[in-house]
Amino acid sequence: MRIVAVANASLKRQFIDRSLPVVLSVIVFFHTHPTYAQDLGAGATVFKQCTSCHAIGPNAKNQFGPHLNGVMQRAAGSAENYAYSEAFENSIDTESVWDTAKLDAFLQAPMSYMPGTKMAYQGLSNADDRASVIAYLASIDSSGQLPEPAATKPEKTSQTSDGQQRSLARDIPIPEHGLLHLGRPALDAEVIAWDIDIRPDGVGLPSGSGDVITGGELYDEQCASCHGVFGEGEGRWPILAGGQDSLVDDRPEKTIGSYWPYLSTVYDYIRRAMPFGNARSLSDDDVYALTAYLLYLNDLVDEEFELSDQNFTDIRLPNENNFMSDTRDEEPTHQIVGEPCMQNCLPGIVKVINRAQILNVTPDAEEASDAPTVD
Amino acid sequence: MRAKNKASGSTAGAEFLDKNAGQRRQLLKSSVALGGLATGLGAATSSLAASTAPEKLITEVQDWNRYLGPGVDAKPYGQPSVHEADAVRRDVAWLTADAKSSVNFTPLHKLDGIITPNGLCFERHHGGVADISPADHRLMINGLVKTPLIFTMEDISRFPRENHVYFLECAANTGMEWRGAQLNGCQFTHGMVHNVMYTGVRLRDVLAEAGVSPKGKWILPEGGDAAHMTRSIPMEKAMDDCLIAFKMNGEALRPEQGYPLRLVVPGWEGNMWVKWLRRIEVGDQPWHQREETSKYTDLLADGQARRFTWTMDVKSVITNPSPQAPITHGQGQTVLSGLAWSGHGRIKRVDVSIDGGRHWHTARLDGESLNKSVHRFYYEFNWQGQELFLQSRAIDESRNLQPTKDALRAARGENSIYHNNGIQTWHVRADGSAENVEVS
Repeated sequence: MRIVAVANASLKRQFIDRSLPVVLSVIVFFHTHPTYAQDLGAGATVFKQCTSCHAIGPNAKNQFGPHLNGVMQRAAGSAENYAYSEAFENSIDTESVWDTAKLDAFLQAPMSYMPGTKMAYQGLSNADDRASVIAYLASIDSSGQLPEPAATKPEKTSQTSDGQQRSLARDIPIPEHGLLHLGRPALDAEVIAWDIDIRPDGVGLPSGSGDVITGGELYDEQCASCHGVFGEGEGRWPILAGGQDSLVDDRPEKTIGSYWPYLSTVYDYIRRAMPFGNARSLSDDDVYALTAYLLYLNDLVDEEFELSDQNFTDIRLPNENNFMSDTRDEEPTHQIVGEPCMQNCLPGIVKVINRAQILNVTPDAEEASDAPTVD
Repeated sequence: MRAKNKASGSTAGAEFLDKNAGQRRQLLKSSVALGGLATGLGAATSSLAASTAPEKLITEVQDWNRYLGPGVDAKPYGQPSVHEADAVRRDVAWLTADAKSSVNFTPLHKLDGIITPNGLCFERHHGGVADISPADHRLMINGLVKTPLIFTMEDISRFPRENHVYFLECAANTGMEWRGAQLNGCQFTHGMVHNVMYTGVRLRDVLAEAGVSPKGKWILPEGGDAAHMTRSIPMEKAMDDCLIAFKMNGEALRPEQGYPLRLVVPGWEGNMWVKWLRRIEVGDQPWHQREETSKYTDLLADGQARRFTWTMDVKSVITNPSPQAPITHGQGQTVLSGLAWSGHGRIKRVDVSIDGGRHWHTARLDGESLNKSVHRFYYEFNWQGQELFLQSRAIDESRNLQPTKDALRAARGENSIYHNNGIQTWHVRADGSAENVEVS
């Protein structure tokens, strides 16, 4: 084991010191040598925390981050159809391929290495982890073919009826948590990647800021085609602005300004689901800016306004106090008194007062019927 | 004619339809007092009463009596008969801006019993149908728990499983009818409901694995689709009867129903049954997400709005006859059928009126009576060809009585959108055709 460890350590130094061709030659070496394949296994384990944003493999697609098939062999920023951040385009030489040193520095602290990157991940502080995950990424070609699994010791497996090699059940460790010991502890990076909800009291807000002017530019680019230039809503897309004092009207307009109780919902929803068809593509500052702009469209702030995590909870939406809990059971309709009437329950002859065919909105509805009416 | 019909396989079915239609036309000409809406096989068979000529369907050997049909495995996954092509989900295009965030409707008038076939369960998506490989799916539990956890699908399958039949109704079912009769067919007025048997594991067991903090009073389930659907659910409900389901009616969830994993929140509005479930956060307050503030809140006439209106109240609808399922057999013995359900528990009784609520008759509940499941009711009567104003009203085991639409409007106004459980009226004319109406 000691020999293996030394060999791994020296290989890792090579990765860091040398450039891409060396990495590739080492990969060939890995594929033919079972001991080193285990080092790729370590990289595969480290890579698991990356899989919430990055895909690899034959069917890999861009997710929140670009797919990483052949990432060490392709030009930086060249994943097809992936919208890289502006920060990425500005700070990376997109003519050259990633080298180990650059990637090592990037992975150590992505957000400091490249402020504004979409890769909102605190980084891999352990150098061995970085080296193994870089080796692992280097071993994956552009087709997404994964390296062969490490050769395992024969006494640890059995040949099964379906021809699959599996570990013996007794060799698979049982986790300590819980009552049934199912699942595995979540890593901080995994929770950070998925836990994006914001509450009205500001819990969950990321640090950052954005102003009305910036938000207006983003809105015109990314939102106005559906929601209208002034938030008035195109077609049947949601109306976002206006409608103040319309809630008691015959046709109320329920907008952020007229109806929504909390601003946190605006931030949360834009960040989780907008723009429609490209969710999670906006930076936290983008979302602050858009939220600020939507306040502006609803005449709730002026055009100088900047929204941030610092002043966010100072903003209250006008309709907050018009929501109440479920009081349906206080309605007369919810009280049953004795047996319902069975005979002669209503006076007079039945009259039709309203019929669907007047509106004629049913799909494939024929022309309004000329059948005799009884009203 | 016979030579022409020597086709076999699927084309034989189509020719049968044509031929049958021709026979119906003949019968219509030679018989008296037939309904003008002879559709489907029911019309052809019931017309026999007025026919004097022997029926060729009987006196002649038919193709399907003579030639062999397809063998086993012609369809490794079976499909409905080609003659049931109109038993499909339908949408109402003008309701929403885009099919990726839209709804379609269960064809209730084509179904019987209490179980909805998986392929006919209505769809409601907010970001299209996510395509998730079960190998790639993860469920995270985080927030106010001792150990935040990640589960694979295999991990989930190792919890103790339960099977339950539950209805799922969209809170906006019948929402287009607040201002008056609008859509002509129970598929469109009441089709945002389905009823299937779920196989899953208890949410409380999965939460217990992570160890919920005593401060944890709410959960926030989240979907893995492009809408990242979220709803706040009180811990009391989470610990009561919620399931994390992976099967419906015995087979894997359909993609449009949340494959590979969905939350089941019995008796509560469908929007809370988060599909493609990937995360459950535990917290001490509700999150006030978009679908529980901007949407799924009930605006009242005075401008105030109710929120967290979770329970689906007692409701029923007559599915046959109805505008899409007119009476085609003329007067005489008639079967009226429908569905009733309540988020408060079992249905105790359903009453039916054929005269717009002047007189009521207690219908016959048939089949299983299960907690928070739809119930099937029947009322058989002798139709004498008069105009009918069909209504049904359900009473659940908590003695909740289905209200009239007018009573609901008096209490809430006309802009609530959600939770319209008012009594539906179908006007059946003397020719058997039916229309969605409101009556005095």
